[in-house]
Amino acid sequence: MMDSPYIEVLPFLFRGLGWTLLITFTGLLFGFGLGTAAGLARLSRKGFCRGLATVYVEVIRGTPILAQLLFVYFGLSELLSMNIHKLAAAILAIAVNSGAYIAEIVRGAVQSIDVGQREAGRSLGLSRSQTMRYVIWPQALRRMIPPLGNQFIISLKDTSLFSVIAVGEILYQARQYYQSTFAPFEALTMACLLYLLITIPSSVYLRRVEQRLEGK
Amino acid sequence: MIRTRDLCKRFGELTVLRNIDLEVHPGEVVCIIGPSGSGKSTLLRCLNGLETATGGEVTIDGDSLNTTEAKINQLRARLGMVFQHFNLFPHLSVLENITLAPRNVQGKTRAEAAAIAERLLEKVGLSDKAHVRPNLLSGGQKQRVAIARALAMRPEAMLFDEPTSALDPELVGEVLAVMEDLVKEGMTMVVVTHEMGFARRVGSRVLFMDEGRILEEGTPEQLFDHPAHPRTRAFLGNVLRMS
Repeated sequence: MMDSPYIEVLPFLFRGLGWTLLITFTGLLFGFGLGTAAGLARLSRKGFCRGLATVYVEVIRGTPILAQLLFVYFGLSELLSMNIHKLAAAILAIAVNSGAYIAEIVRGAVQSIDVGQREAGRSLGLSRSQTMRYVIWPQALRRMIPPLGNQFIISLKDTSLFSVIAVGEILYQARQYYQSTFAPFEALTMACLLYLLITIPSSVYLRRVEQRLEGK
Repeated sequence: MIRTRDLCKRFGELTVLRNIDLEVHPGEVVCIIGPSGSGKSTLLRCLNGLETATGGEVTIDGDSLNTTEAKINQLRARLGMVFQHFNLFPHLSVLENITLAPRNVQGKTRAEAAAIAERLLEKVGLSDKAHVRPNLLSGGQKQRVAIARALAMRPEAMLFDEPTSALDPELVGEVLAVMEDLVKEGMTMVVVTHEMGFARRVGSRVLFMDEGRILEEGTPEQLFDHPAHPRTRAFLGNVLRMS
């Protein structure tokens, strides 16, 4: 039993899990900042900000994430003539990629807030930015929780692509294991179960949050 | 103290306000009546710059609203506004709804703002609701909180945009009572309303608007008992027949 490939692969996968989570969380953290900036820029009155953000969102959403990763890792390395660490490239790829989707989440959430809220804020003498900060943003943030959770699941799965630049995440570790042991079925089954172990509870939790928000 | 000169407002092709000249003096209660779509609410919203005039000018005590954004923010804080749909902030408690602007616009401390809010909540009869979220209040209670929220900025005048139109009939009275208290205190008010009884009781002047113009104005007695314009007569005939 102890030498079953199902068991043997586990230490590999858990090592990969650490990298997967590190890349996902760090990437999304930067992605949230980038997405917030781009999402608000898309709502800006300044045409230049709007245009810049629109180009960013459309370019990223219209190209595959694998191409973006290779672009960051190889393309950018060549352009800046320096070696970009593969972990940094992976985090940057997740940040830039999720940022475009989060920008749309931010924009949609802010736009979904009733215009009367903005008017009430302004009528009290709050400035445009104060109204955003104290009135619109806290309400929009709440509405962003379900789609952000969804983005977490997507980005988590996207990290599996980084095995192509030998980032030691879950799928890479599974491949390392089965290339020496020739047990790909067992290794990949366990790798997928590990992804599901994170994604299914996440989506169950999300559905609960969603229901609570709707119930209000 | 509030004055419009030749005020015009267009939304694209649609002209909503045509050359409005209006003066509201301190202590006056001006009620604006008229059919829906006549421009009443738009006029009110132009008075505090929620809508930008496409022609003419609005001045508050001589200060024009055709000015920088920062100046408009300051002018706005001098006028309180109450909306048809209350527009309370759902993520804040009743107390926080009221203290938000005094703290962030006037720089009051939390304690100062809370003291003002508690006094105003007592005035509108909702002292026990300070720490409740707005979604737990009835429509009438929400509107009374909205009035308290506007009053917390110590406005020089109050603008009411159909404050009782979204309320169940049995809740209208409690809101009108709060507004009548304000009239007694001498607050300057501009009220867009369908409550003819209220306009007659407390209005110092009533304006009848139709198709973006002020067709007729006068004391409540003049306008309600001896309307000069046939459109005013037709409108009042319809409204009074219904009630």
